Amino acid sequence: MAADPNKLGIFVTCPQNMRHILGLTKAAVRAGKKVMIFFTHKSVHLTKSPEFSELSQLCAVEDIAICADSYICEGYDNVTDVPRGLTDKQMRTQAFHGAILDQCAKYIVM
Amino acid sequence: MESLKVYILVANRVYTDGIRSGLGLAVENHYAYPVIMNGEFPRMSEYMAENIAWIADMEGAVFSCGVDAPTDLPEGTEITNISLEELGEKMREADFIIPYGMPKQSHEPPGACSE
Amino acid sequence: MKILQVYRSEPTDDVKKLVEILNRDRVADEFKLYSDQPNYDTLVQKIFANDKTVCWW
Repeated sequence: MAADPNKLGIFVTCPQNMRHILGLTKAAVRAGKKVMIFFTHKSVHLTKSPEFSELSQLCAVEDIAICADSYICEGYDNVTDVPRGLTDKQMRTQAFHGAILDQCAKYIVM
Repeated sequence: MESLKVYILVANRVYTDGIRSGLGLAVENHYAYPVIMNGEFPRMSEYMAENIAWIADMEGAVFSCGVDAPTDLPEGTEITNISLEELGEKMREADFIIPYGMPKQSHEPPGACSE
Repeated sequence: MKILQVYRSEPTDDVKKLVEILNRDRVADEFKLYSDQPNYDTLVQKIFANDKTVCWW
């Protein structure tokens, strides 16, 4: 599949940039762009912040996901404690990051 | 699908998970090059050693920049030394550059971090 | 090749050296996310105007 020229991928690896992730996503949506986001490693703690649910409303359901292994490694329960704003199908593997590289013409790490 | 060259820079001891993330891309048929910056080497568990070996099997490589890699790595686990200038030149050919996690801490971690 | 360098914090000497090499013979732009009030609309414009973005720690 060719990358979508109007789609921005955000790969989140750090737990302290929610302000930037939300600000950037809102600005991208204002500009008529689609946003695809993957949270991995320590950044999965951001799914517990009040902004995460707001962020999830800005993306298509299938375009926001977290690394299930990271979530479990950080002590969360991936069955009984799915983050608000996420469906259980969006508890994914690192393959979702690969999909971002394939599908998004533009990409940034946070 | 085009295979992409992806460099993952690990500058903080807590974020050596960047190596696992690199393996995740390698199994998606991309070329993964995790780079351990300034001696922030992972604890060499069997899992970590396997991940590093698999990245090499998938035609990627794990580099060490700024400090020489340990010489007592498990068999089949290779970390290649690279200078900052060489890394910069190689990354000019990268499709993606991922500074992973956080920057290096300015102080050594306390003993509590070892558990 | 147009490349955008984004900084989440003040760049270290290592980052400055890598950026110098990456930017050589290319059209380069930058954006400082560590400023008090980053303009995210400008950042989006820059990301889509460049071929590649590197976002440093």
